[in-house]
Amino acid sequence: MTKPRQITTSSTAEYFSKNLQQVGFSSPTKAVLTTVKEALDNALDACEDHHIAPDINILVEKVGNGSLKNTDRIRIRVEDNGPGIDAGDIAKVFGEYLASSKFGRGRCSRGQQGIGISAATTWAIQTTARGVSVTTKTKGQKKAVKCLVEVDIKNNKGIIRDKEAVDWERPSGTAVEFLIDGRIQLNGEAGLVNYLRGNVLVNPHMTISYTLPDNGTTKIERVTKDVPQIPEATEPHPHTMKLGEFISHARLFGKMKTSNWLKQGFSRLNDKILAEIWKGQKLARALLDKSTEALNEKDISGIYTAIQKAQLPPPSTQSVMSIGEEALSLSIQRLGDVDFFSVISRKPMICDFKPIQIEVAVARLKDRRGEDHDEPVQVLRFANRVPLQFDKAACAIVKAISTINWRAYGIKQPRDSLPQGPYIVAVSMVSPFIKFKNASKETIDASDELVEEIRRALMQAGQKLSRHINRESRVNDHETKIAHIEQFGPILIDGLVRLTKADESRRIKATEGLRKLLGRDALESEKAVKVAKEKSEAVDAKRHRIKMFREEDQAIESREAEKRAAADGLDEVDAIASESEDSDDSEGGVAVVTAKSKKKIATKQAGQIIKKPVKKAAKK
Amino acid sequence: MATRTTSVHPRRKSKEDKVILEHSLELCEKMLKDLEGGKRPKLTATKCALDNSIYNSKVGFLTPGSKRVSTELNVSSVKKMSRAVFMLEILLRNIETGNVNTKRELYYISKGEVKHNKLMKALDFGDQNESDSVVDFICEMLECYREEMNCFANDRGGQTYSQNLVVTERLPDGTEAVIDLSQLGTSPFQPKNRPQNLTLKAKGKIDFCLVVESEGTANTLVANGFVKRHNSIVVGAQGVPSNAVRGWVKRIQDQLRVPIYFFGDLDAYTMQNIFRTLKAGSAASLIRNSDFSAPDVRFLGVLPEDIKKYDLNDYPVNERDAQEIRALKKARDALANDPFFKDKKNKGLSEILHWLINNKRRCEQQAFYSVDPRDPQMAEKIIIEKITKGHYV
Repeated sequence: MTKPRQITTSSTAEYFSKNLQQVGFSSPTKAVLTTVKEALDNALDACEDHHIAPDINILVEKVGNGSLKNTDRIRIRVEDNGPGIDAGDIAKVFGEYLASSKFGRGRCSRGQQGIGISAATTWAIQTTARGVSVTTKTKGQKKAVKCLVEVDIKNNKGIIRDKEAVDWERPSGTAVEFLIDGRIQLNGEAGLVNYLRGNVLVNPHMTISYTLPDNGTTKIERVTKDVPQIPEATEPHPHTMKLGEFISHARLFGKMKTSNWLKQGFSRLNDKILAEIWKGQKLARALLDKSTEALNEKDISGIYTAIQKAQLPPPSTQSVMSIGEEALSLSIQRLGDVDFFSVISRKPMICDFKPIQIEVAVARLKDRRGEDHDEPVQVLRFANRVPLQFDKAACAIVKAISTINWRAYGIKQPRDSLPQGPYIVAVSMVSPFIKFKNASKETIDASDELVEEIRRALMQAGQKLSRHINRESRVNDHETKIAHIEQFGPILIDGLVRLTKADESRRIKATEGLRKLLGRDALESEKAVKVAKEKSEAVDAKRHRIKMFREEDQAIESREAEKRAAADGLDEVDAIASESEDSDDSEGGVAVVTAKSKKKIATKQAGQIIKKPVKKAAKK
Repeated sequence: MATRTTSVHPRRKSKEDKVILEHSLELCEKMLKDLEGGKRPKLTATKCALDNSIYNSKVGFLTPGSKRVSTELNVSSVKKMSRAVFMLEILLRNIETGNVNTKRELYYISKGEVKHNKLMKALDFGDQNESDSVVDFICEMLECYREEMNCFANDRGGQTYSQNLVVTERLPDGTEAVIDLSQLGTSPFQPKNRPQNLTLKAKGKIDFCLVVESEGTANTLVANGFVKRHNSIVVGAQGVPSNAVRGWVKRIQDQLRVPIYFFGDLDAYTMQNIFRTLKAGSAASLIRNSDFSAPDVRFLGVLPEDIKKYDLNDYPVNERDAQEIRALKKARDALANDPFFKDKKNKGLSEILHWLINNKRRCEQQAFYSVDPRDPQMAEKIIIEKITKGHYV
């Protein structure tokens, strides 16, 4: 009889080292890209965390033949001007799995779990028996720390070797250097160039210089100095929770009045809203005053169902960060000679229980015009500002793009597939919790709700684009019409003269008559072109004005909010302010909604101002 | 344009030819005059569409209403108009010389003209659809038949069998040909696309004329001795009747004054496209329905009641077949908008359409052969029974 096998526990590092394909190291080509990606993601996250405008240098070069079949030995160096890493944390960051400053914090950072860079180190050790070389310097340090980090697979721990203090001209920053076996793919959808260009698009505040084999050094300057403020996580929105989570959330808060737990533990719940929910769903008022510990499961699930049924303001815009239409507009022009583009930033919304925001940019490239337009458009996908490059077909973004009727916007499209032509369609999804299909974060799960939201953004961008294409076709139309006059006029008259056997004098007279007639037509069509042009310019101007109003409104609102916060923290006013902040959906609606809510706030405040002196007077 | 033209026949222009020539020249003269005066030439024509169709049961066919369509010269229509004048020149030359052409040949003739005259290059037709539409445009403007412009389609349908019919054809050179159909053996007589040149005479008694939708079935009936046993004319329609079939049946109706019965499938397409066109013409040919429809034609079957009576094999409409679904949809439209089916006099026919829409079943003419599979004359017997007992609509 064989003895039953013993059940053992293995370390996280052991698991990942045996399953590196799950985190992006499934082939030598992908290994190179993933290593660059992990290092760059970390660099950008670190810079943004400390409000530093990132300056990134990337070097990818071949240094010899690899030990694996069909591979090269490749050096990858990524250097940033970030805050640097404390000497004590280096081993954790590069050599330990699931050691992260970002896990579960509900922030829109690129990295989340703390797997990627440790996996890159593991790949380096597995292929070249050499860990990652790290040079880092924090602000105020005189010398930088340089060391080699390896992963202790058995214990999931980082090991530091050859630590030394070195001179480094940077005031602060980190440089990582990997020596790995892999294969470099520069071009194509899964190529390094595409990946870097994608990063350029969604990081307008980044200056990047990259040196690739056979490609020389490319330097792209930042187009905005504003480093995106990564918003702090807000309390969870009640609609983002499932029942089990809701119950453990209650237990987490310990002994507390239920109403206080709901108000403090969630965003978008306040006295007024709770009162409405309780009234609307006919819940016992006493429940609110009960302690959370005294609530039984039936009570909690009653509260949960009532809140789920209630209409709540959408989740705070603050937990989701966006690139912004303006920055995206500037950034998209760094991708090449862009002829025309349209960008759309959707309002943050809740989708599959999580707050998300979708932004879309559609650009037409000049240099590809006139070429073979049967090629599908170039799709750039982003999740939390990280370009996604693999497994395109299953992705929510591609699904959304190919289910839109682009023909309506003047773009060629075979049935149920990606549109065609010299266009770049970029879709960025930002969310503190993105539903990826796999651990290597390559594909966004295509839920119906999400696909619909992306489709809406794309359709808005498409409409903007079609206005432009329309104007162009008017101009073309005009040109053909003029050509028609010159070509067909004389032929028509010749034919008529031959058939009626008319003489030369009649031909000349008729030619003059025709010229007059068609000249009038040409003038009219020219006018039509002008009108179309003016119209689209007017739309642009209107958009610009609305944007200005929006910014003005936001500034006024934030000033008022500050004032209010200083005076006292009235829940109701907050609720209205947040309502107005969230309701800027369509261009046309913006001015109206915000003006209305401003009025509400103003009246409320006026009420308070009047009330206060009355109270004081009464006291006197 | 080439000046040398050759005629195939020494010929005298007919009255119709002269009218067309005069009308065309008037039109060109007016256009040129308008242009001289700096005025936009405007071509108007009768609108040939269902919404301009009038049906009067006393007249018996669809006639045009008062709606007109017009094309005015402007930057968008200058190409179409110059192409029309270009094609008109070719067609008028054909009328002058007596040449005839098909649409396809006209397409190549126009190509040839362009090849020999670089100034005309802009007029070059990309494909035959373009030149066809210009030919149709000219016919609309002149309100004439394509055949009157000496443009003939391939003769399709109309194969006719009879023991008692003699046809006299007036030829372009003024001579006449006399054809005794009983002398053709098993070969049918096929009327030309311009049946106006044919004169019909009965050399014996003719009781009725049977128009069969399927050319094959018409052939079978005759091969089995139909015209030998019955004093009749059998015509194969071969689907939607061509101008030749329509004009020919009209000739039979007018010159022989015999009852005419149509025998075809029981389905929406047959009723609405084939039979209606044969009996009352079509909306697209409003201006020539008077010569191309035979209002006296009766619908012999297959009738809905025949299915039960003769236990015929019918089957449901294939919901996946786009064409069949389209036919049903068109039938619904016809009941709502087609003045022919809306007229009280044709209630029997519209009831058949209603039956087809409601039951979504169809039955083919060949189903008569299922009644007694061992009797090759079964279909013939049923047809004769239906005619004698008056089982038709």
